[in-house]
Amino acid sequence: MIRKWMSLPLLLIVFFAFAIALTDYENLYVDTARIFYQTYGYLYTGSLNLVTAIYLDFRLLDTLFEAGILLVAVTGVSYIAQHDQVEHNPLFMLDKFKIPELFVSLARIIYPIVLLFGIYVVFNGHLAPGGGFQGGSILATALLILYYIDLKKKTNLQLIFTIEKVLYLLLISISMISFLTRGEWFTNFIPLESNLLLKSVFLIALNLIIGAKVALGLTAIFISFLKEGR
Amino acid sequence: MIHLPVLFLFLPIVIALIIYLIQSSHIHWLVFPMQLILIVSFIFYVIAWKNDPSIGVLVFGGWDETIAITFLLDALNLTFVGLTIFFFSIIFFYAFKSNYHEKKFFFFLAFLESVFLGLLMTNDLFNLFVFLEVIALLVTLLITYRKGENALKAGLQYLLLASMASILYLIGVLLLYYVFGHLNIALMKDTMPSVLNTNLVKLAYGLIITGIGLKAAVFPLYAWLPKAHGVAPSSVSALLSGLVVKAALYLLMRLHGEMFHAPYEFSTVIFWLGMISALAGVIFAMVQKDLKQILAYHTVSQVGLMFIGLSFNQGNSFLGGWLHILNHAVFKGLLFLAAGVIIKAYQTKKVYDIQGVFKTLPWTASLMLIGILSITGAPLFNGYVSKSMLKYAFKDEMFIMFLFNLINLGTIISFSKVAMMLFGKPHLKVLIKRASISQHLPMTIVAITSLVIGLFYQPLITWIYDIVPYAIHLEDARIYLEYIFWVSLGFNLYYFILKRDYRPLAKIRELTMTFPTANFLLLVFLVSMVAFLYLA
Amino acid sequence: MEPLLSIAVILIGMYGLIASETIIKSVFSATMIESGVILLFLNLGALNGGVIPISDGVNLVIVDPIPQALMITTIVIGSTVTSLALILSIKVFHNNGSIHWKDITK
Repeated sequence: MIRKWMSLPLLLIVFFAFAIALTDYENLYVDTARIFYQTYGYLYTGSLNLVTAIYLDFRLLDTLFEAGILLVAVTGVSYIAQHDQVEHNPLFMLDKFKIPELFVSLARIIYPIVLLFGIYVVFNGHLAPGGGFQGGSILATALLILYYIDLKKKTNLQLIFTIEKVLYLLLISISMISFLTRGEWFTNFIPLESNLLLKSVFLIALNLIIGAKVALGLTAIFISFLKEGR
Repeated sequence: MIHLPVLFLFLPIVIALIIYLIQSSHIHWLVFPMQLILIVSFIFYVIAWKNDPSIGVLVFGGWDETIAITFLLDALNLTFVGLTIFFFSIIFFYAFKSNYHEKKFFFFLAFLESVFLGLLMTNDLFNLFVFLEVIALLVTLLITYRKGENALKAGLQYLLLASMASILYLIGVLLLYYVFGHLNIALMKDTMPSVLNTNLVKLAYGLIITGIGLKAAVFPLYAWLPKAHGVAPSSVSALLSGLVVKAALYLLMRLHGEMFHAPYEFSTVIFWLGMISALAGVIFAMVQKDLKQILAYHTVSQVGLMFIGLSFNQGNSFLGGWLHILNHAVFKGLLFLAAGVIIKAYQTKKVYDIQGVFKTLPWTASLMLIGILSITGAPLFNGYVSKSMLKYAFKDEMFIMFLFNLINLGTIISFSKVAMMLFGKPHLKVLIKRASISQHLPMTIVAITSLVIGLFYQPLITWIYDIVPYAIHLEDARIYLEYIFWVSLGFNLYYFILKRDYRPLAKIRELTMTFPTANFLLLVFLVSMVAFLYLA
Repeated sequence: MEPLLSIAVILIGMYGLIASETIIKSVFSATMIESGVILLFLNLGALNGGVIPISDGVNLVIVDPIPQALMITTIVIGSTVTSLALILSIKVFHNNGSIHWKDITK
């Protein structure tokens, strides 16, 4: 009780500290990075979307470990959610629960649209806002609709894990090909001076792999939660 | 040669994925060739680096230094990388037989090794944040591996607190980005002194220090450490106490010492934080009854000593603090591994119930004795070297020497309790399981390392840092007498006071911190840092 | 103005961590802090009032693209930490039968 009241003035102090610090923000802001990306971003990487250029070409290492943390989280969540005992009655109370008819009919219309939209966002990551992570989340939402409709759906979780790890190995290998062709690590494997359309092959390939990985990962996390609940 | 850091970073991940994908259990033997490759390539890299230090800079992607991620290896880094590879080899050796059939354990361990090496080698602030978060996640999974009741609670609290610390660190990093325009540590080091007096940089510094402070478990933010280290499986406890806590200390050296050039007279604050945390750690360690909790609270105290040493930026105390990091990894790892063997054999964790380990497990008991001698600072072992180097800067100030002796006394008392376990008659009724050769061998290697560092520390430091450290005269008989005096004083205090277990001591033992209180202390710490920076 | 609002979101989240009695509220507060941080840096990056960073060198003032790329990573990391924290809290509830912090600390 007492610590709740004592923390309020402390939070106000932090707020004022931030407010004071942000007043001299305008004096200090350095512009060099932004101008560099504006002039050279498209030329060097072949992608109009500069944010995709950053996380898929200039700072690819961050993306590799971000995909890695998703992999670890999926494995970990499924490991912790495992019950040690055999399920006694996996369909307990599920037969008493009826999915509304309206939901099922609407899902029939929405499911292909969302799936198509997700694939569009993944493919066009380098031309419009989007990319692997964003499109992967949309695809995961589409796949989850299937689980809301049919509560007794059976899935092979081990297959999803195997595919995910193979995709991660593929991601690492594609990033490392650039060492053989250009002598630099973790960048586009097509040389720097070639046609801009050719360079986007690398971006599309990486976006596809990342999109598939994110979609499978998020679906696997959701399935682990469902299995734990049964 | 210049490209070897990429091997250090990605080989364990690839091996981890291969171990998971192939079904049979015999593929687990693959970890040993992997460690061998890492050790051999590390030795080659160090030899090449000694000839030509400029090969330590590796820019990814061939872009300009201000917009690409870079790796930077120098004298500070390479020692930690070597320590990591050595320690992980020991842990793989130790945990191999008992976890032979568990794929996910090796997967998490190998991934942790890779990400930890990445944290030590990187030169980019946001990359550090990503690695910190992955380490927090992996450590939580390793703590809760056996899914015991206490392990799940400790893992949940650790995950939430570590995420909060990483986020505070992230806010600090992004404020720094707005000041400098890039995220390169080596470049920031050169241009930092001109902007040190602005409020924005002060706030960023306060946030980064709070984030690092929680990860390193100083007072008052140490609440998660005894809970997490006490309930993890033994090999994981050794790894946590020996290595993961040191990542935060490495960050302190890198960011506070090198990048910010030890600003705002903050060294005094860090010194006193370390002192209080060392004292609090031994007080709590003295009253515990559970073997692993004693060791875990003791880690808090030793980290306090390291903070004291690192608060100076050069000189013998700094070298003492840095050497203490290596030494603590070695002997705390040894103690945790030996404790794991003893607990598994006796099936209990309470110190008073275990007796007569010398008769039942003689080799383990002698290794544990070596560990205890190291940690209490016996001459000839490595604990004595680092502790006397730490005390070097204060040999003229009476009050601080008095506090140091108090901390040492507390250490001796708490380890007298552990040492009582080794003597006496065993009163077992159950059949014990002997430790196998695969567990004795790594512990013996660690014990020998402890002796080697204790005797040969001078050529070692000269080779790494090109500085000649303070000389310790081993022939001087006074140091042996001094040690025997402190040990007998501590043992008598233990026997006549602590063993009776008076009421106040039981009250201190029951003092645990709830999770909301830990968050409140984090906020108090942040506010006091910010207030000190703005007003001083 | 907008950065200050995002800082307010972060501070409300911190208050939530201090004052919450149940485990689920703590996890929600942690998620809120992460969302607040993401909002803060997107706002700070957009303060120079430019257009979205999809350009091929045309001379329009664009927003700084680096905070946006960093925040993509942060969003993914935040969501994974939340999912792991949730599954751990479900398991703690099954073991102890209560979700209050008072009953959890031994």
